[in-house]
Amino acid sequence: MTVAAGIGYALVALGPSLSLFVSVISRKPFLILTVLSSTLLWLVSLIILSGLWRPFLPLKANVWWPYALLVVTSVCFQEGLRFLFWKVYKRLEDVLDSFADRISRPRLFLTDKLQIALAGGLGHGVAHAVFFCLSLLTPAFGPATFYVERCSKVPFFLISAIIGLAFVTIHTFSMVIAFEGYAKGNRVDQVIVPVIHLAAGMLTLVNFASEGCVIGVPLLYLVASLTLVHCGKMVWQRLLETRNQSSASG
Amino acid sequence: MAMGLTRLVAIAFALLLVSILPLHVSLAGEITSIESVPDLQKLMYVAVDGYPCVRLLNLSGEIGCSNPGLNKVVAPIIKLKDIKDSDQQHTILVTADEMEDFFTRVSSDVSFASKIGGVLVESGSSFQHKLTGFSPDKKFPQAQFSPYENVDYKWNSAASSIMWKNYNFPVYLLSESGISAVQEILSKKKMKHETYTTDVAEFNMVMETTKAGTHNSEACLQEGTCLPLGGYSVWSSLPPISVSSSNKRKPIVLTVASMDSASFFRDKSFGADSPISGLVALLGAVDALSRVDGFDNLKKQLVFLVLTGETWGYLGSRRFLHELDLHSDAVAGLTDTSIETVLELGSVGKGLSGGVNTFFAHKTRVSSVTNMTVDALKIAQDSLASMKIKILSADSANPGIPPSSLMAFMKKNPQTSAVVLEDFDTKFVNKFYHSHLDDLSNINSSSVVAAASVVARTLYILASDNKDTSNSALGSIHVNASFVEELLTCLLACEPGLSCNLVKDYISPTNTCPGNYAGVILGEPSSKPYLGYVGDVSRFLWNFLADKTSVQKGNTTSVCSKGVCSKSDEVCIKAESNKEGACVVSTTRYVPAYSTRLKYNDGAWTILPQNSSDSMGMVDPVWTESNWDTIRVRVYTVQHSAYDNAVLVAGITVTTLAYIGIMATKSLITKALKQD
Repeated sequence: MTVAAGIGYALVALGPSLSLFVSVISRKPFLILTVLSSTLLWLVSLIILSGLWRPFLPLKANVWWPYALLVVTSVCFQEGLRFLFWKVYKRLEDVLDSFADRISRPRLFLTDKLQIALAGGLGHGVAHAVFFCLSLLTPAFGPATFYVERCSKVPFFLISAIIGLAFVTIHTFSMVIAFEGYAKGNRVDQVIVPVIHLAAGMLTLVNFASEGCVIGVPLLYLVASLTLVHCGKMVWQRLLETRNQSSASG
Repeated sequence: MAMGLTRLVAIAFALLLVSILPLHVSLAGEITSIESVPDLQKLMYVAVDGYPCVRLLNLSGEIGCSNPGLNKVVAPIIKLKDIKDSDQQHTILVTADEMEDFFTRVSSDVSFASKIGGVLVESGSSFQHKLTGFSPDKKFPQAQFSPYENVDYKWNSAASSIMWKNYNFPVYLLSESGISAVQEILSKKKMKHETYTTDVAEFNMVMETTKAGTHNSEACLQEGTCLPLGGYSVWSSLPPISVSSSNKRKPIVLTVASMDSASFFRDKSFGADSPISGLVALLGAVDALSRVDGFDNLKKQLVFLVLTGETWGYLGSRRFLHELDLHSDAVAGLTDTSIETVLELGSVGKGLSGGVNTFFAHKTRVSSVTNMTVDALKIAQDSLASMKIKILSADSANPGIPPSSLMAFMKKNPQTSAVVLEDFDTKFVNKFYHSHLDDLSNINSSSVVAAASVVARTLYILASDNKDTSNSALGSIHVNASFVEELLTCLLACEPGLSCNLVKDYISPTNTCPGNYAGVILGEPSSKPYLGYVGDVSRFLWNFLADKTSVQKGNTTSVCSKGVCSKSDEVCIKAESNKEGACVVSTTRYVPAYSTRLKYNDGAWTILPQNSSDSMGMVDPVWTESNWDTIRVRVYTVQHSAYDNAVLVAGITVTTLAYIGIMATKSLITKALKQD
């Protein structure tokens, strides 16, 4: 597909993350560290999951329920890890806040906390995109293209890049929702993140059907936009709250 | 809050249901599971199996096929019938029955030839029924070596001469698996949109002579970009000749066959009828005669000679006769006596018709010796009454002997009295002479067994000078039919091919598929060559003939390793593949086969000037084959470049839009926070 197409696919999957990185994350070194540690955590979770599932592989290719089971167990495991990640972050936040108090500097603002959550989510999303899309992209730089029988309208690389972009969005913003949910004890926010993750995972199984990607991928983008909208609403609410608080107290 | 939660859970559940429902419907069908990136690459770039046509050179120019330059040829695939006028070069998919017309048209129509990027030939079994005959060779093969004037006589009626022309594009014969790979990719195209993808074939058949710009044998041999065609012929005598003994030598009855064939495609030239059927008949006869005792007491000496390089200017026979003149080591034991009779076994695989095996004896000239040979053949025929064999003399209206090694013998010495046994009279019955279709299905094994039987008894009669048919020894000479059939599957098929037990008993073959193309001669030509440079079939013949013509001294056989035996008249056989060989008393030698116009000096070949005493050397084209690195053909699908650029633009757009969105959100948030 030539170098132009290869770069195109890479940008479709990871371009927005690159933009986010350049405009938000790269300004603060702490956020870069958060992205890296979150990426590492996600990869470790994959390694552990593959270790657990190794005895059952390779899965039979013509029944779908082993794959459903795989998705469900992986999502549960990763959500559990997300909660642990939050706990570690909370500990860190307390340390940073007490340090700030000692040197008479302001504590972490809401925007700082949101940015850390965003960085954590971006780490997860980038790891997913690199692992599931970018690693398969090397042949795309050669002259040939590839169409999968079950999704014969679009080249394989394009579909995987599009799915990758959806998952980057979902991971990035659901981390923000999750952190706020755990911090405020908001049940809705706490539950919606695993549900979204599970739904997204199960929707990829639709691609197993012949021409299933025509239904599966738009639905996946529906989920991604739901995440984005919910996150936006939540952040806007919190900002307004904080502003009212500070104007009330100040 | 709780309401929101339940609502969300409901939505999620609905999504789950939606996702699962269509799945029970259609999961059947092929899934080629891709487990790694190399798997993906193998699916994308389908390697196509087949046989190439390579570049051959002679003194005046080139023949055969090659990539036109240094680069791979990439061209979209199109069937021959779908060809329209267009400027772009294509890969033409040609079926076997269209091949002759296609290549004839290419040679005559320059504008048609310029549209060809590469050619893929489909020769599945479905097309072979349509073909009544196909021969890419000439009407009178190797006419320049004929000892008689009539060079326009049409021996080969199915001739098209296409293998002797020069093509400036790669040509590749698809194997069965190659055909299915190409068909699969072409059928997938019907599912996809035809507007923005094309299926292309990529040919990597770059020939070194094209790279170096050497376009004839002299230039390429000087530059070292090619090697001369040739190989190693094998001769063996029954019983073994003791070189040291001062006994008077017996006159020799020489039986000749050849082991090399050729076709348009280098590696698919089984040559079943011409000439391998003759070779197998000779080996069957040797096997039968090896079980006969008392050869020491016969009046004449039997010598069996299997030549190679005969297709390319009778290299084997010319070099053999030259070595006889030189009294060299390769022919020690043959030179101080006369070769009284020569019997050649030509094509004998198609003699069966109407339940009778008919063979024709073509004489070089009428003489007492040739009459005696034909008489012996007839006596042998009569003694084999149960096999229904008929030996007939060739039509006297024929201009002379058919194309065979005897033409070279005659040219050298017009007084040669020899007979060649063929399954045809006035023209070839082999309608697939020197084509890739002259395979096992083109011959009849019972015809070969019949020829072997009649030749074995004829040789015994000639050697014993005995005309008595009730001789019990004659009646005891039987050819082992199952041996002949097994040998045919070893030399004329890829399964089992040279990995059959019969061959593996003697050598460890380097290839399974027997390519009966002579190939190039490697290294320095000598009568004791480095065995790594000698072809599989030559090595098999040497070991086989040494085994069958050997005499056991006492009952003990000593073992040998490294091919060395202690006694001078012993040779080490079956010494390959880590086995220890056995030392047997036998006179079996290799004779190099290469043009008499070539000389090997210090690692390089030079062409000798024309010598009027070597009349055949004067008309020898001096064939060489270009060196080549890898030959590979791949088939894959390519997107149009507009699409690739569109993808790049889409990627850049998505990135930029995301950036703008993020910046907008940032400013929105800062503004929201500052409103106090």
